[in-house]
Amino acid sequence: MAAQQETPILSVRNLRQHFTSGLGKNKMVVKAVDDVSFDIYKGEVFGLVGESGCGKTTTGRSIIKLYEPTDGEVYFMGERISAGTQSIKEAIKAKKAEASQAIAELKNELKQVLSDAEEGSKELLKAQYQEKIQAIELERNAVVEDLKRDIPDRKADTNNENKDLMKKMQMIFQDPVASLNPRMTVKEIIAEGLRIAGVRDEKEILQRVNDFLKTVGLLPEHASRYPHEFSGGQRQRIGIARALVVNPEFIIADEPISALDVSIQAQVINLLNDLRQEFGLTIMFIAHDLSVVKYFSDRIGVMYYGKLVELADKDELFRNPLHPYTKSLLSAVPLPDPLYEKGRTRIKYNPLIHDYSEELPELHEIRPGHFIYANSKEIEQYKSELK
Amino acid sequence: MARQINENKLSVQNLSVSFRTTQGYVRAVRDISFDLTAGETLAIVGESGSGKSVTSRAIMGILEKNAVINSGKIIYENEDILTIREEDFHKLRGNKIGMIFQDPLSSLNPIMRIGKQVTEGMIVNGKHLKNKIKALSHEQRREYLNLKEDLLTLKEDFKAQKETLKKEDQKDKISALQSSLDAKVKVLKPKIAEAKAAYIAAKADAKKSVGAEWQAEKAKANEKIAAVKARLASASADDKKALKDEIEHLKEQLRRVKRVTQKEADERAIQVMAEVGIPEPVKRLKQYPFQFSGGMRQRIVIAIALTANPDLLICDEPTTALDVTIQAQILELINKLKRERGLTVIFITHDLGVVANMADRVGVMYAGKIVEIGKSEEIFYNPKHPYTWALLSSMPDLSSKERLSAIPGTPPNMLFPPKGDAFADRNNFAMKIDFEKEPPFFKVSDTHYAATWLLHEDAPKVEMPAIIQERINAMKERTAAASDAQKKNEVNS
Repeated sequence: MAAQQETPILSVRNLRQHFTSGLGKNKMVVKAVDDVSFDIYKGEVFGLVGESGCGKTTTGRSIIKLYEPTDGEVYFMGERISAGTQSIKEAIKAKKAEASQAIAELKNELKQVLSDAEEGSKELLKAQYQEKIQAIELERNAVVEDLKRDIPDRKADTNNENKDLMKKMQMIFQDPVASLNPRMTVKEIIAEGLRIAGVRDEKEILQRVNDFLKTVGLLPEHASRYPHEFSGGQRQRIGIARALVVNPEFIIADEPISALDVSIQAQVINLLNDLRQEFGLTIMFIAHDLSVVKYFSDRIGVMYYGKLVELADKDELFRNPLHPYTKSLLSAVPLPDPLYEKGRTRIKYNPLIHDYSEELPELHEIRPGHFIYANSKEIEQYKSELK
Repeated sequence: MARQINENKLSVQNLSVSFRTTQGYVRAVRDISFDLTAGETLAIVGESGSGKSVTSRAIMGILEKNAVINSGKIIYENEDILTIREEDFHKLRGNKIGMIFQDPLSSLNPIMRIGKQVTEGMIVNGKHLKNKIKALSHEQRREYLNLKEDLLTLKEDFKAQKETLKKEDQKDKISALQSSLDAKVKVLKPKIAEAKAAYIAAKADAKKSVGAEWQAEKAKANEKIAAVKARLASASADDKKALKDEIEHLKEQLRRVKRVTQKEADERAIQVMAEVGIPEPVKRLKQYPFQFSGGMRQRIVIAIALTANPDLLICDEPTTALDVTIQAQILELINKLKRERGLTVIFITHDLGVVANMADRVGVMYAGKIVEIGKSEEIFYNPKHPYTWALLSSMPDLSSKERLSAIPGTPPNMLFPPKGDAFADRNNFAMKIDFEKEPPFFKVSDTHYAATWLLHEDAPKVEMPAIIQERINAMKERTAAASDAQKKNEVNS
């Protein structure tokens, strides 16, 4: 694809989002997103699929800074917009532990050497070992300092409210009932983003609101109404207008059609498709309905329990699914074809089939543009499947 | 499939349901009819608000209070369940007709342990002795209540007639009416008294016989217990525990004659929960709904429906709130249960893929009417109604690339149902007559009917949209390829 040569509009690097609950021995860490990396290029639709609870929505919310990431970095239009610090903290901890172990070993050695040594040379030996220990300590301090230097930077990036940049990224939420404030009129809902972005001219605000109502297929007179006066499809249109009004370049659509009725789903997909062409939008499309994702996206990432297990061009993914989870997901899609359905067998995914005791898996590029989460042994096996 | 031909499990005839609202009557279901043979699955598809759920709720007898059944019959095992008494309905609802609800989160009580929710129905319905007494005196009771109701209707009729006569200023006729009423009441009253006496006598008899039975059981059990107790006195310390257990067992046995005990219900619940694929049911019994995932919750809802052993199961969008993999699991589960228990299923959904997976026959509903009904192959490979076309083409399948043809507009307001074909406003193929006259059912084949004027002999020839034709062709190729491959495999092996 041509888009691939361009620089990515969004890069996600080793993103982790962990949630903790409880204290002391009850403490639990939920790894909602665990080491996810991908790029989204300008003008494409990137689909993210997976079963509920696999971290799709959390990924989206971490990208748009609704959460502070635990670790990893997110770059948007070349700038780092958020970065977590856990890996640095872990590195510091590891370095310190390593150093103190080395020191302890040296001290033990010294004890033994001292007990064997003659009376006169003891002072000399002590000094020698002291020097060694000091060297280790110095090295440790230098490394820790070095690592620490990055932390304020990352925190600053995460806390930086770069409104001019962040307004280029908007989100469409899943539930059109819950995501619109019932006590605000449609105009207030849509204009809120503009006001936050610093537009003060009331005339301009009204003009923009009316323009975008028309764009999404509503009428300007709808502006003074309240959300409850609209049907589900119309409410989702209001949500789309709210996202578009600040002229974003990148939109995160978090299951925008799951809560809608069949006939309305097609209307909203068509609308998103038109808008994408009209405004040159880049969209990250989060959904669990594979037929819709296949229809709407260019590239698709498959998530399973916080990990991105496969990422490929949509045709490639549907033609050559490699990861067993992807296969199982694809085999579960029911098609409106009774004879085919009678013969369809679902492939069950058993996460225990992976033997990761020797080597841990990583995201590998098995073919240009086709990434898979596996270790080198599995890569060999998948490669033979490809041929 | 061992299907009994001409044996209708359920038959809905000309059913119409409206809801009373402040703006008027909302005609939710308008004159629908379908039959269901034992062991088959009928899927009802349509948009939200097309009356799918109202139909299923009418069959279950759980319509809202403001619902009015304007006309029609629902015949279940040769009995019109719209006319039977609420108390008689208790015997059907749950026991014969089970229902799985749409949202597993809101159909379970969040502050009640799963175990209690699964066993609740068994325990409420499990008072064996009381049930026996009721069953024995059932005929007399019905007789008595029917007569009582007759009297009531007589009086109400009289009142209504009196009002109309008053309005029409024919007061002289009132006295005649009054006397005819009095005469009728005179005949009825002694009958009622007789029936009441008969009923009370029957009840007393039943009580006596059931009581005697119970006493006999009790005496038998007590004898056994006494025997064990006698052995207990002289038993060694090791045997004592076993004997005590035996006594407890005998006591439990006796209790089970009287009613379904919590222990018995729990055992059955564990068995059913294992059947629907819930791991560690013993542990799960003590948990709350929030500790279950969406798929597991839906399994619980299915287990609750199955505890009473229904033979007709109504599934109201059981997978709409679930994602693909869990949906596939639940569908497989329902299919498995259907096979093993020989269930008859009504499956309500708006996902055509799911329909293709589950259904033997499909009914397409729009604006409170069934617009097309047929075998699932006929609906998917040879759809005739424009609304079916629209539904099929509005969803992308895995191979679609072209722009989706969304159905324009919204469903009609059912406060004022349109005069002609309800779909005419949104229909690209609508003709003049569609706006004027409601189309009757046209026969496509013995099992396939569609209500559209397009099938009338005078109608212009209209081909179904190209997108559907292409898809059907692709499907045919796919099945042909699959069967070829299968044949090859057979030859090879």
